[in-house]
Amino acid sequence: MIRVRIPKGHDPNLLGRPSLDLQVLGKPATVAVPPARIAFVKPRLAVTTGDAVRIGSVLFEDKQRPDLRFLSPGGGHVAEIRYGARRRIREIVVQLAPVEEVEAFDALEAADVEGLPPADLARRLMRGGLWPLLRQLPYRSIPDPAGEAPAMIFVGLAAREPFLPAPEVYLEGREDLLRFGLQVLARFCRRVCVFTEAARRLPPAVAELVTHRVSGAYPLDDPGVLLYRLRRHAGENRCWAVNGQDLLMIAAFLREGRFPTERTVVLAGSGVADPVHARIRWGAPLSQLTAGRLSCPEPRLVVGGLFRGFRGEPDGHMGYHESALTVIPEPGEREFLKFVRPGADLPSYSRTFLSRLRPHPRAVSTNVNGGRRACIACGFCAQVCPVDILPQMTLKSILAEEVEEVLAHGLLDCVECGLCTYVCPSKIELAETFRQTRLRYWREQARG
Amino acid sequence: MNPVKALFDALRPHFQEKGRGVRLYPFYEAVESIFFAPREASAGLPHVRDHLDVKRFMTLVIVALLPHLAYGIYNTGYQCRLAAGLDLAWGPVVWQGLQLVLPIVLVTYAVGFFWEVLFAVVRKHEISEGLFVTCMLFPLTLPPTIPLWQVALGISFGIVIGKEVFGGTGRNFLNPALTGRAFLYFAYPAQLSGDAVWTALAGARTTFVDAFSAATPLSVAATAVPGVRVEQALGDAGFGVAELFFGLHPGSIGGESDFLALLGALFLITLGVASWRIVAGAVLGTLATGWVLNLAAGPEAGPFLTLNPFYHLIVGGAGFAFAYMCTDPVSATHMTQVKWVYGFLVGMLTVLIRVFNPAYPEGVGLAIIFMNLFNPLLDHLEVILRTRRRVPNV
Repeated sequence: MIRVRIPKGHDPNLLGRPSLDLQVLGKPATVAVPPARIAFVKPRLAVTTGDAVRIGSVLFEDKQRPDLRFLSPGGGHVAEIRYGARRRIREIVVQLAPVEEVEAFDALEAADVEGLPPADLARRLMRGGLWPLLRQLPYRSIPDPAGEAPAMIFVGLAAREPFLPAPEVYLEGREDLLRFGLQVLARFCRRVCVFTEAARRLPPAVAELVTHRVSGAYPLDDPGVLLYRLRRHAGENRCWAVNGQDLLMIAAFLREGRFPTERTVVLAGSGVADPVHARIRWGAPLSQLTAGRLSCPEPRLVVGGLFRGFRGEPDGHMGYHESALTVIPEPGEREFLKFVRPGADLPSYSRTFLSRLRPHPRAVSTNVNGGRRACIACGFCAQVCPVDILPQMTLKSILAEEVEEVLAHGLLDCVECGLCTYVCPSKIELAETFRQTRLRYWREQARG
Repeated sequence: MNPVKALFDALRPHFQEKGRGVRLYPFYEAVESIFFAPREASAGLPHVRDHLDVKRFMTLVIVALLPHLAYGIYNTGYQCRLAAGLDLAWGPVVWQGLQLVLPIVLVTYAVGFFWEVLFAVVRKHEISEGLFVTCMLFPLTLPPTIPLWQVALGISFGIVIGKEVFGGTGRNFLNPALTGRAFLYFAYPAQLSGDAVWTALAGARTTFVDAFSAATPLSVAATAVPGVRVEQALGDAGFGVAELFFGLHPGSIGGESDFLALLGALFLITLGVASWRIVAGAVLGTLATGWVLNLAAGPEAGPFLTLNPFYHLIVGGAGFAFAYMCTDPVSATHMTQVKWVYGFLVGMLTVLIRVFNPAYPEGVGLAIIFMNLFNPLLDHLEVILRTRRRVPNV
């Protein structure tokens, strides 16, 4: 096992950390898949409102790569297709029948995997709608099995972003499934890195599978950060990554021949009364999780962690990749003379608040906490960037449209952790600008 | 309800879309945001943001400068009454100092704020808090006898040419306060140099009392005759190490106390607002250059060359400038490691200008401005070196 230290990054110490208790929630009325929230996919619908669907029926496919299919996580009928701005398909909502029918797929034994060519495994996963759970670095796009083989595959058993489910909770009793999943991944690439935090206590059967123990702060749970520390040459930039829980779903699907329908998520944040882990249906409605648990008058529902999740609607559903619902309050009243407060209760990356002296979890809101100003070159963004980008300089290169320079600065190494924006006293949207620039560059490359 | 909030709620409509004062909205926003922190929900990622903002960042610098202002008021009053042979009790000294210093500070703020508001209104951006720091630094570097119209002119030059023409705080490459100060020095040397300008005269007096020497430590050091050690000359003039360190002697309004500058630098470095690399670099540069000059000094060399390098840190405004001017993040180098280079060269140039240019006894201001010009180049070099070390990813 290799120990890796991530010298940069930051852990905002926030209230609302979920307890390790696991609540099993019952069957909801509806489940949904949100095409608009799955990056790099242009959906083409395969169903219309009212169609009967089974667990594992195709709901939509990607226009550019029709073999990327997305299946229904529930059986019943399509109740509604919700459109957002510019008619983007926001959600495909499936009303669950009391008894759900199930689409059957081929099951695999562990012994069979060894003989299978990777292309065959990929085909099974694509037909099963789980291939998009794999992501390809640097863009976190969906890998092309016919393309260049990955240099490494990262399996993330870490949870550092506030807040994500703890691996020991979703791994409990499923250690052999993880082993099977790793066996499958090994067919695609011989270097499979299973990484977790240095301090995390995993069950012994899992701990012996771990190849890398990472210490440091958020975003050490990101495969891109580990890749940045491990790689030796440019040939290793194209890697695949999969989250531990997603790998379990892939393994369960291949072994049982049945589309997986459950996920372990957290309901966390200072806006909920009792933050916990919960086992829910994949794509369950947010209202099922929040019912009776919200503790603030004006909550923001974040599907995913606070740094990368998307904003959920009260009537919305959980995402395809996301396994957290984090709730924090929207900003309250404007604070009187805040800039001269010693700030014993105001968390900050900088050392300018008294809270620094007594570290304990503190409440946050979605407030930007200040006016927007020009950059004053405080240098915090570069101090905190886990992959040593110089965000302040990179931003200038982006604004000057110096593409070569932007790439030389390492824009493609950016893991979109959002810390640069988080720490910026001038409240500049660095991470968002980087994300859009990466996306633009990806589109250009995809066009060829 | 908070009565201040009620007042702002009543005033706000006048500065919004249909109000008469809509053009003055940046001014209104600046005043309101001093009392009430802005309330804006995050739109992009991440959903949470740090509590530090520019207002607090800049306020902390002002907090560090306030002791200098207080001490400057006391020292100005003290020197003035000493020169006039008047009673040196605490009360009258402070009163005298307030009369001399406050008009300079108020004129600086009024004129500086005027320009900032004008540019903010015309360019439709917010008023940046950097202005308040600039307007605090500028008067502290001036002699107490300066005419107020020169104060107004100097800060105008500093704010407009040093900052606003480039787009305002954050986009300037020169330290605005020093730009204004340098402008005044070259435009009106009579009011900014010589021994007479550093002590104000009280009331109707036109000369100092005979026992009072208005010479500043730097002028004593620069005019020391060959054969006498500078330390000796300073000591004879009443400037021992302690006097120089605490700064109760004629000089600029707020820049003489190295004790307060040391405390301020420690305060700002502890809070992470000022860069310790710059301060350490500047101190090292000063000591190293002073030491090299000591070694190079032949028997016929001027006495200034043989000055103990530590004296360079405590005479004149070097301590003040290293703590507050050099560390201005915008005009300093933006990259981390070249901050050492920047600081070191500022220290070096300060000593060189002092020792080799008799026309300008204090060199630290010019040294900083000169190095400000080179900072983009230093940054560029570090960016190149650092990006070259990366494994390419395209």
